[in-house]
Amino acid sequence: MIKNKKSKGQEEMVGFALIIILVSVILLVFLAFSLNKPKTEATGSYEVNSFLQSTLQYTTNCQTSKRFNTIQDLVFECDLKEKCFDEKDTCKVLNETLTDILKESWPTGEEWPNKRYELIINTGEEIILNIQEGNLTNNCKGSSQIFSKSKKEFSINFEVCE
Amino acid sequence: MVKNKAQMKIQQMAFMLIAVMIFFALVGLLILSVGFSGLKEKATALQEKNAILLVSKLANSPEFSCPEKTNCIDLDKIMALKNNINNYKTNKDKNFWGVSNIEIIKIYPGGKFIECNSESYPNCNTLKLISEKTTGITAENFVSLCRKEYDSENYLTYDKCELGKILVKYEKIQ
Repeated sequence: MIKNKKSKGQEEMVGFALIIILVSVILLVFLAFSLNKPKTEATGSYEVNSFLQSTLQYTTNCQTSKRFNTIQDLVFECDLKEKCFDEKDTCKVLNETLTDILKESWPTGEEWPNKRYELIINTGEEIILNIQEGNLTNNCKGSSQIFSKSKKEFSINFEVCE
Repeated sequence: MVKNKAQMKIQQMAFMLIAVMIFFALVGLLILSVGFSGLKEKATALQEKNAILLVSKLANSPEFSCPEKTNCIDLDKIMALKNNINNYKTNKDKNFWGVSNIEIIKIYPGGKFIECNSESYPNCNTLKLISEKTTGITAENFVSLCRKEYDSENYLTYDKCELGKILVKYEKIQ
């Protein structure tokens, strides 16, 4: 009789322990899910894309045909080896302006979040301009724009590494 | 004797049920506390996302945009907007864009800090459109800053575009 009572008590204890184990497992699964939620994505390349768009609209001091050229106009003029009204080479003005813009907009180096940038302007066949600074890293974001004039296609590619 | 035993069994079961209920209640509380602990972070992340979205589309909104250009801010228009910014307040603390700060900074050509107002414009480099709070979540984006300029040599008006950044700040949830 006593033995029977003892085994019944043991059975109940085992049942209670099983409930606790089951709930603990559910709790652990829930915790694992809540802790492993995917983090929100980094900013992406919207900044690089906007930079390219804005840079192409920048008005330079180089004047040809009674108007001040934008960077995009200068790319076309440089391809045609034209000169500004003040006899400056359009390619040189393009190079100098873009170098300055890049230095002001994307400071690179150990103390800055950006470690490297590279800007390439090319037509289908040749590279018109290539400006780069810093060392390559694994975390890079880039953007490119294509524009055309007189059936000739130009592309500008920009890449920044963090 | 049998009645006593049955009463004991009922009592045992009642205690067991109470224990199980308390246990589940505690587990429920734990789950709820874990669930709500990330709520503030989630709200902050959402605001950050909103700030990025707003900053990337603000330059193309009618109040800011230049005619026939994308990602461009018409500075002449913004100066007029700055003078009438009180019309864009929806109530005491809120404005049309729902942000605490909107600032436009000229990046290139650079220069020392000069805030834009009716006296200093266009020879300035920082335009504070809304400046309610100094702390918060900031999102920024590159924009083209264009204005009308008169070329006295050729007697013509042209669009002068420079490179800048637009900064939007949301108040952080405390």
